[in-house]
Amino acid sequence: MASDRIVERRRVFQQYKADVKERGKPFYPYAMFHDTIMSLVVVAVIIGLAIVWKYSTPGSHTGTEAGWLGKLLDAPADPGTINFVPRPDWYFYFLFYLLRIFKWPETVILGTIGIPTICLVLLLAIPFIDLRAERRLSRRPVAIIASILVVLSMGVLTYKGATAKEALGSELVAKIPSWAASEGFTGNQKAIAGAKLFAVSGCLNCHTYNGVGGAFPGAPNLTAEGAKNKGIAFQIDHLKCPACKTPGSPMPSFQGLGQQNLTALANFLEASKGSKK
Amino acid sequence: MAATKLTRSQQIQQTILYPIDWLEERSGIVGGIKYFLFRKVPGDTNWFQTLGAATLTAFIVQALTGTILAMYYKPDPNGAYSSIQHITNDLFAGWLVRGMHRWGASVFIILMFMHMGRVFLFGAYKYPRELNWIIGVLLLTMGLGEGFTGYLLPWDQTSYWATVVGININGTAPFLGPFLAQFLQGGTYINADTLSRFYAIHMLLIPGAIFALIGLHLYLVVRLGVTSPPWSKEAAGKGPITNGKVTTGRRGLSRFGTRGRR
Ligand code: HEC
Ligand code: HEM
Repeated sequence: MASDRIVERRRVFQQYKADVKERGKPFYPYAMFHDTIMSLVVVAVIIGLAIVWKYSTPGSHTGTEAGWLGKLLDAPADPGTINFVPRPDWYFYFLFYLLRIFKWPETVILGTIGIPTICLVLLLAIPFIDLRAERRLSRRPVAIIASILVVLSMGVLTYKGATAKEALGSELVAKIPSWAASEGFTGNQKAIAGAKLFAVSGCLNCHTYNGVGGAFPGAPNLTAEGAKNKGIAFQIDHLKCPACKTPGSPMPSFQGLGQQNLTALANFLEASKGSKK
Repeated sequence: MAATKLTRSQQIQQTILYPIDWLEERSGIVGGIKYFLFRKVPGDTNWFQTLGAATLTAFIVQALTGTILAMYYKPDPNGAYSSIQHITNDLFAGWLVRGMHRWGASVFIILMFMHMGRVFLFGAYKYPRELNWIIGVLLLTMGLGEGFTGYLLPWDQTSYWATVVGININGTAPFLGPFLAQFLQGGTYINADTLSRFYAIHMLLIPGAIFALIGLHLYLVVRLGVTSPPWSKEAAGKGPITNGKVTTGRRGLSRFGTRGRR
């Protein structure tokens, strides 16, 4: 069977070569004419985008404000910032959003590595999965369905990634009373003060707390951090220099917040013994 | 030496042709170019089949604008941001070159996906073009790698934090992940070496690989020929055509090579 198929496809390719020789057109000028026009269109579109990018920037077209196509340049990188919103270029939005779907630390690896790897392997394997010679779309229902599904899911993920809103500090601050109630630190003024800092300092871009927050790979859920009983001193030291306490930690240093704020944060963390709801 | 006298125009012609003949005699390049230009392609190729050439053009735009940017860009954390500012605001047409590189990247990636889509819908990855599909997928991942490494270079807030997250995603991969993250960063945390590493990868390592792979890709395109649109009545591979009908081929009695004349 298989060898029949191989003989047949070789024959069809020989036929292809013979047909092209007999009634094909020379690449130059026919195909090259189309290619050249298309290439000129591409260059024109790229130049057009560059022009729009600059001249839709408000003011003197030089600042860090966003025009129609986004900022020319953001503020300089500052590894010590406490309120950042990580955002990749648009063609990584689908990956970015996968990361948010798989929130829990145990499955985040599925979203970041697992699914992309499987997709890549499948893509490489297509010519070896689909061995039929048939090329007409009307006879390739599986191919049609697969391509519609792929385009749809990439489109949805990209759209979701583009419109995903990071939780804002002010919205998080509103949640503090309910956190205090479920964790049982309503009367603890120091912990409340720490919770406010926690809400506005960008901690939740990485950590999860009582069901809100991001899923930075490796960042633990802090809902029950206090149950580990690591102590105020440890928490302060860890916030000052995470990598000194946990070698290789990607968490940035929060030394800049000052001793008083760090103490409040540490009290909040230690008071978070886990949700009792 | 030569007895025949050349007319003036013949002499001029010879002078012009001399360097070309010289090259041809030593390299065969002229024959190669002629073969490339005048090789036959199926008569029914259409506009969808210009997407590959469009992708190539976008890549060439990236290579040229990238080279100009590299002349002014400084890959260290203290100089990167201000050098980008200088390119964008002070240099003559600097904003244009940077804008073309920035948006050319998006166009390049969109075109790669569109080209891949056309190859898929045409079934053009089937025998004997499987290898070219694989080379194409490698090109696609490398293109995305260029997007990832280039994003850090302006060293502004957006690029910095997106890269922190990106590297950490790499770091979660099993087995190789932590090593890959360490290699990219040049340490356990994003630092001064990270930027020069990304720069080297972005402008040397990956572009070199892309150039080589595009070379292979086009070699295979020329060697195997491009496919006819699958719906075409006169698609190459169906056999000779008489009065608009295929006379041999799949439906013919003779399976091996007998070709009816028109
Ligand atoms: C860039 C992402 C990121 C940000 C922002 C961040 N963290 Fe972390 N955090 C991590 C990671 C990753 C770990 C795990 C490694 C470690 O323990 O240092 C961690 C660990 C922790 C731990 C556990 C320490 C232990 O050993 O029990 C605490 C507590 C903590 N972070 C508190 C905070 C607080 C409070 C903030 C905000 C002021 C914050 N984090 C901001 C990424 C982050
Ligand atoms: C840097 C990126 C790429 C460049 C410059 C490029 C260039 C080209 C060109 C010029 C052609 C000739 C026919 C045409 O234009 O369609 C072609 C054909 C082809 N490409 Fe690409 N390509 C790229 C990426 C890809 C990708 C991502 C894939 C798929 C995964 C792919 C798979 C193929 C295949 C299978 C053919 C043969 C099609 C046929 O015979 O009809 N290429 N490519």
